[in-house]
Amino acid sequence: MDKLTSELEIIQKVRSVFPHLLPYDIDRAIRHCNGDTDKAIALLYESPEFTLIVKRTLTSTGSRVSAHIKSEPSDESEPLDSKKAVKIERVRDSECVIESLDGKISVKDEAVESDDVLQRKPKEENVSESVSFQAQMIESEKKSVAVEVKEEKKEIKEETNDEFKSFETFLKKKTLLCPKPISQVPLTVKKYEYGVLDLGPSSGSVDDGDFPEEHDWLLVGRTTITGLSTTKGRKLEFNEIVDFHFPCLDPRKKCSSQFASRASAAASEIVRFSTRRNGEIGRLPMEWAKCLNPLVSSSKVKVLARCVAAPPRLQLMQEIVLYASFYIHRSIFTEGDRSSWKLNAYNNIDSTTHPLPTLFKLLKIKPYKEAEFTPEELDSRKRLLNLQDDSDDAEALSLGGKRRKVAQHPEASNDEQVLSESSLNKIVGAVDEYRLEEMEPPLTLACELRPYQKQALHWMSESEKGIDVEKASETLHPCWAAYRICDWRASAIYLNTFSGEATTQLSKATQMARGGILADAMGLGKTVMTIALILGRTGKVVYDDRPMAVDTEPVCNGKLGKVHQTKVEQKVKGGTLIVCPMALLGQWKDELETHSRPESISVSVHYGARTNDPRVLSEHDVVLTTYGVLTSAYKNDGEDSIFHRVDWYRVVLDEAHTIKSWRSQGAQAAFTLSAHCRWCLTGTPIQNNLEDLYSLLCFLHVEPWRNWAWWHRLIQRPYESGDQRGLRLIRAILQPLMLRRTKETKDKEGRPILVLPPTDIRIIECEQSEAERDFYDALFKRSKVQFDQFVAQGKVLHNYASILELLLRLRQCCNHPFLVMSRSDKQNYLDVNKLAKRFLEIDSTSQNSSTPSRAYVEEVVDGIRRDENAECPICLESADDPILTPCAHRMCRECLLSSWRTTTTGFCPICRKLLNKNELITCPSENRFNIDIKKNWKESSKVSKLLACLEGIRHSGSGEKSIVFSQWTSFLDLLEIPLSGRGFNFLRFDGKLVQKQRERVLMEFTHSSDKTVLLMSLKAGGVGLNLTAASNVFLMDPWWNPAVEEQAIMRIHRIGQKRTVCVRRFIVKDTVEERLQQVQARKQGMIAGALTDEEVRSARIEELKMLFR
Amino acid sequence: MANSNLPRRIIKETQRLLSEPAPGISASPSEDNMRYFNVMILGPTQSPYEGGVFKLELFLPEEYPMAAPKVRFLTKIYHPNIDKLGRICLDILKDKWSPALQIRTVLLSIQALLSAPNPDDPLSENIAKHWKTNEAEAVETAKEWTRLYASGA
Repeated sequence: MDKLTSELEIIQKVRSVFPHLLPYDIDRAIRHCNGDTDKAIALLYESPEFTLIVKRTLTSTGSRVSAHIKSEPSDESEPLDSKKAVKIERVRDSECVIESLDGKISVKDEAVESDDVLQRKPKEENVSESVSFQAQMIESEKKSVAVEVKEEKKEIKEETNDEFKSFETFLKKKTLLCPKPISQVPLTVKKYEYGVLDLGPSSGSVDDGDFPEEHDWLLVGRTTITGLSTTKGRKLEFNEIVDFHFPCLDPRKKCSSQFASRASAAASEIVRFSTRRNGEIGRLPMEWAKCLNPLVSSSKVKVLARCVAAPPRLQLMQEIVLYASFYIHRSIFTEGDRSSWKLNAYNNIDSTTHPLPTLFKLLKIKPYKEAEFTPEELDSRKRLLNLQDDSDDAEALSLGGKRRKVAQHPEASNDEQVLSESSLNKIVGAVDEYRLEEMEPPLTLACELRPYQKQALHWMSESEKGIDVEKASETLHPCWAAYRICDWRASAIYLNTFSGEATTQLSKATQMARGGILADAMGLGKTVMTIALILGRTGKVVYDDRPMAVDTEPVCNGKLGKVHQTKVEQKVKGGTLIVCPMALLGQWKDELETHSRPESISVSVHYGARTNDPRVLSEHDVVLTTYGVLTSAYKNDGEDSIFHRVDWYRVVLDEAHTIKSWRSQGAQAAFTLSAHCRWCLTGTPIQNNLEDLYSLLCFLHVEPWRNWAWWHRLIQRPYESGDQRGLRLIRAILQPLMLRRTKETKDKEGRPILVLPPTDIRIIECEQSEAERDFYDALFKRSKVQFDQFVAQGKVLHNYASILELLLRLRQCCNHPFLVMSRSDKQNYLDVNKLAKRFLEIDSTSQNSSTPSRAYVEEVVDGIRRDENAECPICLESADDPILTPCAHRMCRECLLSSWRTTTTGFCPICRKLLNKNELITCPSENRFNIDIKKNWKESSKVSKLLACLEGIRHSGSGEKSIVFSQWTSFLDLLEIPLSGRGFNFLRFDGKLVQKQRERVLMEFTHSSDKTVLLMSLKAGGVGLNLTAASNVFLMDPWWNPAVEEQAIMRIHRIGQKRTVCVRRFIVKDTVEERLQQVQARKQGMIAGALTDEEVRSARIEELKMLFR
Repeated sequence: MANSNLPRRIIKETQRLLSEPAPGISASPSEDNMRYFNVMILGPTQSPYEGGVFKLELFLPEEYPMAAPKVRFLTKIYHPNIDKLGRICLDILKDKWSPALQIRTVLLSIQALLSAPNPDDPLSENIAKHWKTNEAEAVETAKEWTRLYASGA
């Protein structure tokens, strides 16, 4: 045994230097040098023709057989030579006997190569031998070896046999450690080979030599491959078996010796093939080599081949036609249920050629079901200019493009990027009609559900069970193609055309945890539907099918690449966790309580609680918390946070678009929660960008889309470049995952699911009075001069902000000239003086060091007086709704308040003085009018029209209420004057109100009978506002993006609205307002996919030019 | 992608940092993540760090400017308020953060910290002790480290 091992070592050493030499030659070389490794290496290195010399020596000495017996085991000892691995596998079959004989036969062939007569004789002899062995069914190899040895020559000793035996066990171990199988020609073919030689090459037909069915290897297909010869002078026989030599891909080998590195560099990817008799004869074409290398090294695919056509005497670079059979290992069909096979070495998502699909293509195996998306298609990156065939898609795509454009100009107001609902529907594809079953709500639900809500309940329950969803999506995933391989034992193989992943499981369009996105449009009652679901399935019962629910697999998230390993066993089981924005916390609690029968569920609000014991949470059926709390818990404790230590039955994200930026901590906190079912509630699954949706899919654990690279490559990029397939794929993913109904959705009988009173939308054109017109014209001319200057300098886009400012003035002027006058004239403000006085009073009364110096206050007040709109130190913008702190620092109200930890007190960001909210002084710009507007009040044409409308409603006596929207609070200020003057009882709702005041205002507006008008700033309405008490909507100024207006209308036109909703938009004729609308229309008409960045830029300039025409 | 939602403030700050850099300080955003800045601070004159070029990384978290940027020395430095991982003990980076502070002011503060090490509020106990017991020697070590690690090579 010792002797054997040392011999092995020597062979391996030599082999590492000459990886391409046949082990046989190496063995001989070693023998030649009496076992001296170094000498053998030197010999082989210096005289490549050595092999031949050795052969001659061997034949002449006649010690052939003994040498052979010894060399056979040492030959096998080469673990790198993967031939052997397969050989050993076969040892377990009964046929193995002959296998080992073959080795000898071929060796013998070599020895007597030149002599035709001699060649034929031993072959025939051996064939008969092997047949006889088969007949005898000799079971173990050692025995056969023994028998054979006896028959051939009597020189073999028992000792050799033992050596062989121990050697074999050694090899078996070795093989297990070295997973590198390569094709080995199976025995029966060998028999065939000899048969053909007997009959003469002419009679052979290519097809009849079927390789035997092997239990573990399934035939994929056969084909001819044309290789190129790398040697000359050799003679190939028809149907001669060839062995493949795959380059060693093992990186460890590369540095094992200096010679080896040289060799492996040269070998790179080339697959060579050889025959037993001739050694290397040729190489495979690169396309085959590239595809086979990874496949074979994965040990799941093997290739068997023989030569079917070659020139009678080979010259270099001649064609050798091989007929190859490809086998795939059974294990890929049997390993686990959900496993799939992917080549790890080829993880690079951007590489679009994957070996297995390539192999199928080379084998000309056509998928019986084609993938809808293939890398080739996407890579062609066609710009689809002609989108007329599907106008909806085209429009949705153009929206995508628009999004992109907008993103390039962050100066443009944020609201501009909000998708309108109709565009959203086009992208995610709202379905007009759902044929869903209804489900009766649980008895514990204390309210009636509408039919469509019962449908949602059914859908959600089924989604949680995870059955129906799968049934509904038995369509093949659009990225996968289905193949059938030749072997009838194999089921269909599904192959991912992008990743090269192969599996035998049908890959559905979505593979997901239970749950989904309830994306019903605003006002359809998502909250109630969810409550019904929670009541029906509290999760307190034993989970029916728990195992697959818990995510324990590592979450690899695109770039983050972070591996989260959650420890399930330590987690306590919880009920439902509802995460919502802070503003809705109270509403959720109220609705949960009012809609459920007493005692049916226990609700706990986890907000600002001190406990860190997850058991406290798990005691309740429902735990309510906010995104803020969840995020900060995650920030502090990561996945050891109180929320992450509970194994929730269900996690519901309300207003789930809150986590739309998937890189944010908040989103990560939600992704990593452990839950059986996950739900997203949102009326706007996409708010600005398609990427928003990605975040939701991550939360829902929808595979494979959680992989950012995938998402980006297959959806985001095609979508942005105007490729319809991106859009189609999104719809395919969302189809089983999302329930989205809009108010237009019809029920089974074709009636709308929700019957809302109609809306009556009209545009009211206003004509400016002469005075107004003059003022406007003057302003317009001044602005145009400035704009033209920018154009002349070619700096339009550099001065984008200034231009928007010019436009702002013009638009405000359309509302009321006062809005502009207040800014452009720089006279003394009465109230600035008041303010200065107030400061100086503070200064004199308290000698506290924290009060600002007199000089400083004077400077500040002077600044205000000169209408210097100082930059807010927090947002670095010119302060919007500026306030002054008692320490005389000026900043945006919003910025300051959001920097505070509590709502009432906090530090001054500049001097860290502790401030109280009621100490803040609203800057005099609140009253932005430098003329006494009350005394000099004059109605603008727009205001007159509005007042006329309001008067009309009042006189009708119907008691209808109205909401007046404007984007400028200063305009609302102005409107207060005539409204009070005419005795309208009005309320006001804008960003300055704190939460409590907002609620009070809305309450009062809803319930009092005398407050009939609500002045509302367009931006102020937060989530979930319900303004159904009103039925008249007045939109005073057109907004850049109609979506914002749409949302405003939606607050009135929703469940509970009993009257026709009248919407009036006011547009002043022949002004920038009118042209603004044209620009909007023009934008909609453009197909963004066809535009380059340069074109986008020039289009933008064109738009501005339109406005200043 | 990541940068499309970049707040205006960060864009403005970046522009200003690039157009009017503070003396002895350079900060440039990384190309793939506009919230990540590569920072170089020259060791202030009259300090043991004079002549050194110190590399730092600065990251603006999602909450910025409501939360402080995360800053870390990448260059090894011998300083009582900077530990061997490059973390900096500076109040404005922690509880004294104010949204009125900016990248520029933070970096200027760090530069000032190099001029005035504060061994009474140490992050690196050993160095602080060294500083307190034998300031001259500690300064020498700091100079030596500056030569060794921050000489710009």
